[in-house]
Amino acid sequence: MILIVAEHADDRLKPINRELAVLGRELAVDFGRTLTVAILGRDPSSLIEQCRALGPDRIVTITDDRLEPYNPDAWTAAVEAVASEETPAFVLAGHTSTGYDFLPRVAARMGRPLVPSCIEWQRHGDRAVFTRPVFNAKMHMRVTTTGEGPCFVTAAPGAFPPREPDESGSGPPQDGGEPRLDTFDVDLSGLPVRSTRIGREAAATGTLDLGSADIIVAGGRGIQEKERFGLIDELAEALGGAVGASRPVVDSGWRPREYQIGSSGQTVSPRLYFAIGISGAVQHLVGMQSSRCIVAINKDADAPIFKVAHYGIVDDLFSVVPEITKTVRALKAGSPPAGGA
Amino acid sequence: MKVIACLRPVPDPASRLFVNDDRTWIKDAELGFVTNEADTHAMEAALELCEGGAASGSDPGEAVVLSIGRDRAARVLREGLAMGAARAIHVADDDVESGDEYVRARMIARAVEKDGGADVLLTGVQSDDLGGGVTGIMAAELLGWAHASVVVGIAATEAGLRVRRELEGGMIETRELATPCVLTIQLGINQPRYATLRGIMAAKKKEMKVWNPDDLGMASGDVGSEGALCRVMEVRAPERDHRVQMLSGSPAEAAARLVEKLRLEAKVI
Ligand SMILES: Cc1cc2nc3c(=O)[nH]c(=O)nc-3n(C[C@H](O)[C@H](O)[C@H](O)COP(=O)(O)OP(=O)(O)OC[C@H]3O[C@@H](n4cnc5c(N)ncnc54)[C@H](O)[C@@H]3O)c2cc1C
Ligand SMILES: Nc1ncnc2c1ncn2[C@@H]1O[C@H](COP(=O)(O)O)[C@@H](O)[C@H]1O
Repeated sequence: MILIVAEHADDRLKPINRELAVLGRELAVDFGRTLTVAILGRDPSSLIEQCRALGPDRIVTITDDRLEPYNPDAWTAAVEAVASEETPAFVLAGHTSTGYDFLPRVAARMGRPLVPSCIEWQRHGDRAVFTRPVFNAKMHMRVTTTGEGPCFVTAAPGAFPPREPDESGSGPPQDGGEPRLDTFDVDLSGLPVRSTRIGREAAATGTLDLGSADIIVAGGRGIQEKERFGLIDELAEALGGAVGASRPVVDSGWRPREYQIGSSGQTVSPRLYFAIGISGAVQHLVGMQSSRCIVAINKDADAPIFKVAHYGIVDDLFSVVPEITKTVRALKAGSPPAGGA
Repeated sequence: MKVIACLRPVPDPASRLFVNDDRTWIKDAELGFVTNEADTHAMEAALELCEGGAASGSDPGEAVVLSIGRDRAARVLREGLAMGAARAIHVADDDVESGDEYVRARMIARAVEKDGGADVLLTGVQSDDLGGGVTGIMAAELLGWAHASVVVGIAATEAGLRVRRELEGGMIETRELATPCVLTIQLGINQPRYATLRGIMAAKKKEMKVWNPDDLGMASGDVGSEGALCRVMEVRAPERDHRVQMLSGSPAEAAARLVEKLRLEAKVI
């Protein structure tokens, strides 16, 4: 069996589950296993309908008040109980603030391997070889697991995009058979309560909505200092687009939090996205990689941003960006673009 | 309050990287090493927690730094001492990079126990080289402590700590947790201070314990690749995606080419 631990909030399954279902089904097919989705919560049965769309062979609900809102100790105890009893070959969760929060605990408790942030896998004999990005995605590391028993994997968001549903059907992507429904009982009553959620709120107070922008010009740490960020504003203005930023720009106080694009900021998919002085870390990519046209400007030809870009310029951004701004301005003013070629 | 901050030495992020001959890691002998960025924030958070306790008169607090590795680890520890940590623990393991996160988490947990425990153990949210973001959470499990990950704010309360942790999509969760606990510290939580000249001088006189894996009760089968639960098959540069069109020439030429492509080929402006 392959076990997916589903993530949900506010009575909705999160999009990451669809990616886990892709990875889970691939593993299930290749290793001749079945695919089970476990839903943990106060009233997980309310999510069964949404869960069917993931196309599992079986859905297991684990019901306990302590499982919702999310609590790492309770989730660790529950997932360890299922993993010990049912010995799935692989237990999958998202590399998300929930998945990477509890899965390492379960793995360590059981003394079993954990592969974090998996982006790809291949079969190698009777084992799976998982690829994880290292050195901020400048390198890939391929690892396999050892020993007998469940192996734990967190999947990087964006790495296993679900196939678009085909025209004909709305049904589950697989053979369409009805998943078996099961419950799993755990006794969490003895669990000491040592961590509790007090609240949850939006980090940014501003109202900047980059989600609807057609063109976004985003700057990163390569801009080096706050004073020079104006170069991004100017290009955005010339293009009639919005300004965005990578996380270090925001952490350094060059721009407010609401400008941040990426996993802990906004997710955007404009017609045109400029990534300027941005290396292309996984957490940035998930926020922008579905943009229709991506332009990357970076002095490092190996920067992972070029893996998602459509057009790239390898050069010093301080010389290139003002030239682009100038050319765009000339174009908009109706005069022939200045410069070479 | 006793706070231990974990510091990982990582290759300077500006380094050009080449895969080593047996394709299991990078050629790192010649690279410069620095303290993992998130760990400098963990270090700052440790100092602030101790200073906060001292200011409220409750207790003077002790900030300790911990690093596993060869002499590079000793170097980052000395920086931590110069920033203001009271003392350091160096777990000397030449083979640290052959292990996996589980091996390092075990070493961290054992070292913390051997040092008499702590109120709070801080790690970075993730390392800049491996980037798994799991070592601290595993250490929490092995210590049997509570934890919170991706922490962007910490305040001491009567019962323990109140922390703010970052979720996806710009959401922040506030949690209360009992000590002892582990926090993994996110960038942006604070501005790490610089070591002063006085701090650097003072660091020379501060205590640095050196423990081998043996001292932590970890035999050769527990460390390095033997102790690891994951086995590295290969490290390689990612395949180039040929989708990207690189535009060359002088800045003005490249800019002109780009604008033309965006207008006529991609039709996005
Ligand atoms: C839990 C978690 C959540 C995160 N959430 C987000 C998020 O929402 N958004 C986000 O962006 N990041 C996020 N991050 C951080 C992410 O991992 C990266 O650290 C970050 O995206 C790097 O930003 P950057 O590319 O601007 O900086 P760097 O990685 O430092 O890259 C700077 C780039 O600029 C280039 N450069 C430097 N000088 C020049 C020059 N003169 N000309 C041209 N190029 C130059 C360099 O070659 C380099 O590629 C998160 C991390 C974690 C752990
Ligand atoms: N060799 C090490 N020595 C001390 N701390 C480490 C070491 N390796 C990892 N850590 C800590 O664990 C955190 C997370 O690392 P990782 O799980 O590799 O992303 C780092 O930010 C460090 O605080």
